Amino acid sequence: MIRTKGLTKRYGDVLALDDIDLKVAAGSVYGLIGPNGAGKTTLLGILAGLKRPTNGSVEMDVSSSDVAVLPDTPRFDAWLSAREVVDLARNIGAKPAPPDRVETVLDEAGLTDAADRPIGGFSRGMLQRLGLAATIVNEPQLLLLDEPSSALDPIGRREVLDLVSRLRGESTVVFSSHILADVQEVCDTVGILREGRLAYQGSVSDLLSKRTTPRYLVRLRPPIEQTVEALRQADWVVAVDQLGPDQVRIEAASVAAAESSLAAVLAQTQARVVSLVPEAATLEDVVLGIVT
Amino acid sequence: MTLWRLEWLRLVRTRRWIVLTFAYLFFGLLGPVSARYMGEIVKRFGGGVTVSFPDPTPADGITQFVGNASQIGLLVAVVVAAGALSLDATPEIGTFFRTRVPSLARILLPRFAVTSAAVIGAFALGTLAAWYETVVLIGNVPAGRLFVGWILGAIYLLFVVCVVALVAARTSSVLSTVLATVVILLGLPIVGIVPDVAEWLPSHLVGALDGLVRGVNYTDYLRAAVVTVSAGIAALWAAIRMTSRREL
Repeated sequence: MIRTKGLTKRYGDVLALDDIDLKVAAGSVYGLIGPNGAGKTTLLGILAGLKRPTNGSVEMDVSSSDVAVLPDTPRFDAWLSAREVVDLARNIGAKPAPPDRVETVLDEAGLTDAADRPIGGFSRGMLQRLGLAATIVNEPQLLLLDEPSSALDPIGRREVLDLVSRLRGESTVVFSSHILADVQEVCDTVGILREGRLAYQGSVSDLLSKRTTPRYLVRLRPPIEQTVEALRQADWVVAVDQLGPDQVRIEAASVAAAESSLAAVLAQTQARVVSLVPEAATLEDVVLGIVT
Repeated sequence: MTLWRLEWLRLVRTRRWIVLTFAYLFFGLLGPVSARYMGEIVKRFGGGVTVSFPDPTPADGITQFVGNASQIGLLVAVVVAAGALSLDATPEIGTFFRTRVPSLARILLPRFAVTSAAVIGAFALGTLAAWYETVVLIGNVPAGRLFVGWILGAIYLLFVVCVVALVAARTSSVLSTVLATVVILLGLPIVGIVPDVAEWLPSHLVGALDGLVRGVNYTDYLRAAVVTVSAGIAALWAAIRMTSRREL
């Protein structure tokens, strides 16, 4: 669907993007993450055709009329109503959807009750919902969403994530976000930008499994000091953190070592095990490890 | 909702049409009155100073209108046009339009056309008002010459809107568009100081309405009209091209 080669963007002396080779599969939800100034908005701008790369190329299997863009802070002429904005978005494209689609997307965005109000009085969250409605009204094949849930309350954020999830398979979605939990939830592929370079690109599951250290949370009946000491002596244990009088976090050298030896140490110290769970790595842990 | 209706709503809901119409209509009504009663006004408020004015002629009523309309009216027209044609003044709104239409001409042409129609319509109302009051208060004005003068004035206003479109393709705010356009429009008469150049410049058409009513030959404005139409078309074409190539 999208393939960039050696994409570079320079603003004077500032290198905003440096040799980006992006690969976005058709029908996937691609999360673009990275700290402020990493180049996410510039990359989306180039994909949208709003900016020209200094070097490199962009190949897309979709015509520009099937691409829709949602800026991070959508704004519209304040004297229009929400219904007029969505109808305008529907009508001015190369392939307008049927008029009844306007009501459908207003409903999906939760704006039916406010559809005829001038948008000059809309909150930022409502504008973001409106921007999303205007973005999806013509059912584009490619959606470029710049922080689509950043201004939304928890309910609005949930609705946006559900909407993006529903689009999977029907449209290709590239969305940037600072909310890594959102990316982890809805994206099947992520690209991590750091200082204009693509520091990682691949599936979320690969990122989480390959880049994390196996950790386990173990809850025991006190006293637990003898068990903690035994774990610290074990050669397969990287670190042991006592989190309280009855809880310990164990970081192992490998999953295999932990699976074969952890139970033995607990048995040898006659620990009374209440629970033992592998501590799942979050995308936030992994991304922080990459970008810092 | 079409892009044409959008521009109509921009005029109506932002009340820009009222500002435009008021500016031209006000001076259309005021010009002949001030020409007719200037002597009395000065006598009443002159503080004892005696100033004798010749009897006003019908052309004086039109002159007063043209003098005000070509300054205040033109400035209002530039502001209204800049508000419509500064597509990227709000980048998020620019993004909305740029990523949807196949060609930016589809956005700019309705903005140009509707704004131009509003400006020319307001100028027509002002001219009609000035004509009516002049006939009532001072004397007859030849309708044919007045009409041709209005046509030439309208050509100049169209040129001004084209210049606004061109300037807006390079500037990043409504205010900077207005200021840069005003500088260009003020610069044209300065260029006209060069001998034999003035009658070729678009600014020569500013006084066409007044000049024709005073008996100036039609052909005196022909060269400026041809240059103005050509320059306007070129400016509009360049505006569309530059706006299309602009990065947001």
